[in-house]
Amino acid sequence: MPGVLAKKLALTKERLYGLIGLAIVLALVPVFLGFNFYYVLLATNVMLAASLVAAWNIIGGYAGQLDLAASAYMALGAVVTGHLLASYGLTPWIGMFLGAGLAVTVAVLVGYPTFRFGIKEVWYALLTSALVVILMRIYYLIYGSFETYIPHMEPEWLYLSFRRYEVYYYLLAAMVVIIIWINLKIKSSKLGYYLAAIREDELAAEALGIDVRRYKLYALMIYAALAGIIGGIYITLTGILSYRLFDPWLGIVTAVMGIVGGLGSIEGAVLAAVILRSLEEYLRGAIGATYPGSHLLVYGLILIIVGVLKPEGLASLIRYVKNKLFYRKREEVK
Amino acid sequence: MMAIDPSLLLQNIVNGVFTGLLYSLVALGLALIFGVMDIINFAHGDFVMVGAYLTFVLATTFMIDPSLTAFITMPIFFVFGIVIYKLIIERVLGAEPLIQIAVTVGLLMVLRNLALMIFHAEPKGVPFTMFTQPITLGPITIASSRLVAGIVSLVALGLVHMLLTRTKWGIAMRATADDREVAELMGINVKRVYAVTFGLGTSLTALAAALIMTFSRADPYLGLLYGLLSWVIVAMGGLGGVIGVLASGLIIGIIEALGITIVGAGARELFIYLTFFFILWFRPRGLFGKR
Repeated sequence: MPGVLAKKLALTKERLYGLIGLAIVLALVPVFLGFNFYYVLLATNVMLAASLVAAWNIIGGYAGQLDLAASAYMALGAVVTGHLLASYGLTPWIGMFLGAGLAVTVAVLVGYPTFRFGIKEVWYALLTSALVVILMRIYYLIYGSFETYIPHMEPEWLYLSFRRYEVYYYLLAAMVVIIIWINLKIKSSKLGYYLAAIREDELAAEALGIDVRRYKLYALMIYAALAGIIGGIYITLTGILSYRLFDPWLGIVTAVMGIVGGLGSIEGAVLAAVILRSLEEYLRGAIGATYPGSHLLVYGLILIIVGVLKPEGLASLIRYVKNKLFYRKREEVK
Repeated sequence: MMAIDPSLLLQNIVNGVFTGLLYSLVALGLALIFGVMDIINFAHGDFVMVGAYLTFVLATTFMIDPSLTAFITMPIFFVFGIVIYKLIIERVLGAEPLIQIAVTVGLLMVLRNLALMIFHAEPKGVPFTMFTQPITLGPITIASSRLVAGIVSLVALGLVHMLLTRTKWGIAMRATADDREVAELMGINVKRVYAVTFGLGTSLTALAAALIMTFSRADPYLGLLYGLLSWVIVAMGGLGGVIGVLASGLIIGIIEALGITIVGAGARELFIYLTFFFILWFRPRGLFGKR
């Protein structure tokens, strides 16, 4: 029934308007950048980071698992899409979902043993960090250090093979909006409440009869699938397949952005991604040539400061501003 | 798959044993910190990396053998560890694991990129060492630097084992590891035990780094390799003390050697991490754990 479906898709009014507002702002960004080739590419990179962090928020923020393998799932989506496209001419519109399927499979293989009840969180974090290296090695054993290039193909829309960056920007910006919407839906669903209970106290959640492992796995699967699709879009943008796609740093940086944004706050996570990624590009341009690695150094410092002083991250700042703006008279409930 | 030459296999296993001893030493500090303080330190491998650079700087500035710099770097690292403990670690004691991991990942990023900024990406090696002559025993040849690294590691492991079992400090550490509150009630200064444990764990990485520098080079990416390696060994050893760390290190060293023999050098980390994966799946308390 359409009525039921509409209800399922609906958000609260405030959130819906926020999301529409965000979509309009994102749509106007290339116009403000004057369709400049370089700036639009930068904006595309920012959208890439924002969508990845928004997806990470599901496993890291809601389920409270420190996943460091965002780049692994993204790269799996990318290599499946890319190799199917380059070798067999399969449209990325199908390839990205096959890639997402592989990412989900691998994620379950990692999540199933480590989400067993009573296993410390540290092993999941370590295993995901090792996963990126494992997959990189496997890819290296198969393809070596060769780079595979995806040629330009017509029709453009079928093969996502555009000569300008704007289309990629809009694809990724659409992903950002969709993933934020998924986040909001999860937050106010049964899954979201279960995940919140698990994050707060796993023992108590288990005692209440929540199948902890199953719901953590659900969160992980959604996240891995989204990261795989993002990877599929990303590879049509760069067109270069290499073992370097499996980058342990990208996985760590994604988690950093999510934590700095404030765990479990989707607004904070996306805001942190936009700010930190832009800052990174600025630092890389300004001092990166003289001091390599300086932009990542800044990430590290921010992470230590946030972790030691304000574990709630940017989200607490957003809440503060929001309260000042909208609810001046109402006391903060949270 | 080709048939494997048995003497080559034996050679690689012997190499694996000596490498494994060194790996145990690298992981020992982490096992102490994790076991006693229950702190999840992701930056452990990067302490090794910083130690390697410090060894390089001292050895080339004062023209001394890299292995001898350990006498200087170990005390420096003891203090460095206590400073890190006071500045950062103490504030996240008892925090959620996620916050501990986040903060130490931040530390890892700072250390690694500081090294990248100062020394750039090219590996830095010490061009001289007194251990260059390979030693030949029948069909087996072993580089003397590896032999010395293995023996020194074994001695260091033995000393730490003695420290933990025979001295007042060691007993205080083990008591704190078992039950922090009861230890406090028994008059143990837990905060001081923590600081010393962190300092000791860090200074052990300086010794390992000095030994590594007799046959390898320092580069900013050492940290990821040794950090994950240490955690694999700790996972395998469970909380089984020095003996567990030693046994796990040897197993990892031999697995690595077999992987290199059978598949090739590219598969080096692959086999270690796959072992890690299966350990977590089938023996999540480790092979030698008590709890």
